[in-house]
Amino acid sequence: MSESPFENLKLELRRGCLVLAVLAQLRAEHYGYTLRKALANDGLEIEESTLYPLLRRLETQGLLISEWREEDKRNKRFYRLSKEGKLLLEQLLDEWYNMGTSLKRILRESKV
Amino acid sequence: MNLLNRYLQAVAKCLPSARRDDIIAELRANILSQMEDREHELGRPLTEDEQADILRRYGNPTIIAGRYSEHNLGLAFGRQLIGPELFPIYKTVLIINLLITVVVLAGVVPIVARAIGGAITLTRVLMPLAVQFGIVTLIFVILDQNKGRLLDKWDPRRLPALKANPEDGPNAQDIFTFIAGAVGTLWLALTPRWPYLLLGPGALYLQAIPLKLMPQWIEFYWAIVALLCAQLVLGFFRLFRLLPRRQARIMDLTLKGVGLCIGLLLLLKAPNYVSSQYQEVAVWANLSFLACLILALAINLWGTGRLLLSLWRERDQMVPARQH
Repeated sequence: MSESPFENLKLELRRGCLVLAVLAQLRAEHYGYTLRKALANDGLEIEESTLYPLLRRLETQGLLISEWREEDKRNKRFYRLSKEGKLLLEQLLDEWYNMGTSLKRILRESKV
Repeated sequence: MNLLNRYLQAVAKCLPSARRDDIIAELRANILSQMEDREHELGRPLTEDEQADILRRYGNPTIIAGRYSEHNLGLAFGRQLIGPELFPIYKTVLIINLLITVVVLAGVVPIVARAIGGAITLTRVLMPLAVQFGIVTLIFVILDQNKGRLLDKWDPRRLPALKANPEDGPNAQDIFTFIAGAVGTLWLALTPRWPYLLLGPGALYLQAIPLKLMPQWIEFYWAIVALLCAQLVLGFFRLFRLLPRRQARIMDLTLKGVGLCIGLLLLLKAPNYVSSQYQEVAVWANLSFLACLILALAINLWGTGRLLLSLWRERDQMVPARQH
């Protein structure tokens, strides 16, 4: 509760980005653990207790589809983007790039 | 993997039963993959401490189960008071607490109102509910504000031992429940012949203050004894797994339904269960019986509701999982 304003704001900033990163990463199929590893390899560490429930929520919203399949003698639940998820990812990425461009412009103007 | 199983058991306890098996299977696959990866890095099996470290990183079972909540609800009043991790537990505790309060009020308020000669006012009924709501909410707000300190200090090695699998043979608890049921049924069947089994030395007062039972009492009494005997037979079948689990649960539900019917029929006879030449004794005997009956009905209703819900959810799980 007594976290610094920076920590709180960083958390808020991260929350939105995580969904975007997960959707982007799931253009290729993954199960929970390999998804977490892939995100970590790309520099985005995410707690298991945040990622796995998030996958369920995104699936409930129809953005992901999942399938139980056996791999290495073990049943695993594989996730990938649904049609709606692909569409939403494109829209979100547009927003993301627009915001980035705007922010760059704002920062440039404030320097002048 | 005993530690992993104990961890998953603790998570499962806090998950909604409809999605429990699916979530636990997924968590198990993910954690096992992570442990195998680590073993591969180290080139040897993990020690218990290393397994505990991995599980600790996953987080407190209560917190992780709360994050699987579908609706992600919380309690807020301007700012968030109870977060989504604790909200499902808060909701369950609050419902149980309020139901118990309602049952107790239904039994106690009429008796108190009659004893002090006052009316049953809305304030008398609502005030205890408001107080219970306030206390439970306050406890959970304090818990939520300190959850970092309280819930993060946990050790996977201190998680409860694994419970026996219901599909395995009889365990000590099943045997105890069956024996207790048999003793209870026998005790009830013998009380008309030996009233001191029910009242102890107080049975002597029956001779001094003769209580006359209502005429239909004997039919109700034997119906209850027959119901207990049927439950005992079902208990025997369950103990030795002579019936499929779902079938046994459906029979249990049927017997609970019969019990509810007997209870409701008895309730219709209220408050003339007993009569006596001493009016005051008869009034108190009838009120005490009525209070016990309401409590027994509430417990039966609660058990029946839970069993019905559980069977309904099991029915959902019997449908093959959605494939994409």
